[in-house]
Amino acid sequence: MKTRTFLAILIILALFTSCKNKTETGSCCKTGDHAAIEKSTEISDQSVFLLDSEWENYRDEKKILSDYQGKVIVGAMIFTHCPSACPRLVADLKIIESLLTEDERSKVRFLLISMDPERDTPEQMRKFATDHRLNESWEMIRSDKASTMEIANVLGVRIKPLKDGGFDHSNVIQILNPEGEIVFQQQGLNNNPEESLEQIRMLL
Amino acid sequence: MHFNRIIFIGLGLGLAFSSLKGQQTSYSDGEMAFIPGGNYFPFFSGKEDQEKVDPFYIDRFPVTNREFETFLADHPQWSKKNIKSLFADAGYLKHWKQDSGFESDITMSPVVFVSWFAAQKYCECMGKRLPTTTEWELVAEAGKTRPDGRNEEGFTRLILGMASKPNPATHPEVGKTLLNYYGVWDMHGLIWEWTYDFNSALGTGGSRSDSNAENTLFCGGGSGKAKDVDDYAAFLRHALRSSLKANYTVSNVGFRCAKDADKP
Repeated sequence: MKTRTFLAILIILALFTSCKNKTETGSCCKTGDHAAIEKSTEISDQSVFLLDSEWENYRDEKKILSDYQGKVIVGAMIFTHCPSACPRLVADLKIIESLLTEDERSKVRFLLISMDPERDTPEQMRKFATDHRLNESWEMIRSDKASTMEIANVLGVRIKPLKDGGFDHSNVIQILNPEGEIVFQQQGLNNNPEESLEQIRMLL
Repeated sequence: MHFNRIIFIGLGLGLAFSSLKGQQTSYSDGEMAFIPGGNYFPFFSGKEDQEKVDPFYIDRFPVTNREFETFLADHPQWSKKNIKSLFADAGYLKHWKQDSGFESDITMSPVVFVSWFAAQKYCECMGKRLPTTTEWELVAEAGKTRPDGRNEEGFTRLILGMASKPNPATHPEVGKTLLNYYGVWDMHGLIWEWTYDFNSALGTGGSRSDSNAENTLFCGGGSGKAKDVDDYAAFLRHALRSSLKANYTVSNVGFRCAKDADKP
């Protein structure tokens, strides 16, 4: 009986110290150190695929950003409750889409990233996708607040939460090559799509 | 009986200690200071825009070169050599030696030339986080003897004097400029600091609803709306934040960490 108790204490102590050590060396960090992904495939130093945050899309699938490797990404950060700017941004992306040939379109992924992870549930994103008639070339994803902040900072999107639950934000169309490197960013709304188109075509 | 007395003495000592701390008007405890929270009024807005801040802890000093070096020993992927360019521009830790380490005279100086990503990761690995802009500004408005330093004689002038000093070639040690009411050092006059949500400072257009606050701010017409012209230093910090990007490394931008506190 005594030995058992002693052993139990020993095990508890061992567990406790191992966790403590972990904290000291910092390997208890919440998010990963981007090392795991990095080893499995060669990801460039400038690729957004270095981020190992977890996402879900409007089809209820779990995703990581490197799942989108292989196609040119044309994307933007939006939120579905957005009254005016985001629908304009999506419309701008749709104009770009409409100007691509079918062959070109098959090599492009249109990616909407939610800046409002709390309200943009998969169901809500699904509704948005239906309302805006997004076809299968399109994807909309959300993560948690910390990962949303991280990707916004990687993409250089400024976001200011408002008291009514909405956001002030910069409107940026992002064009990434199939390796996940940011190649071109277009600021603002209602821009001439020619420059974005040219950039996309250079990547195809 | 004897046992009870010991408890009693212990309690007495504790009370004496806490009252002493109260007298010094310092809530500090160890490396972090407790900030009881409260209401913060952004300088560019009216009273209706006050923001409620929950209690939190904040580092009493900015993170030093030595502390950052210790962190890098455990996380070599954030070293000067290994850092991914996605997470920091080419100036990362520029004030350090070519490979690693730094001149011994800056050991206790604040680490600068760090990106938001590196600062964020450092705090996360310490079980902390970067302070929000509102939290940071709440701590920064404390004077030497009271939470609102603007009513303290000479305080604003002191801060403006510090803010307008040119940057020295190397930064002096932490803990030499100003110790505030909360027991927090160097909120003014040493370096600028990253905040978690620095990117909520919208300097350019694209602001949707209350864009007038930002636009007037930069058109100069906003000064009439500002609650206090003495907040010039806060204007400067806002302007800096709106010009930063998360991968930037700057010669006078460092950071300190914060942590949630339980609500009372």
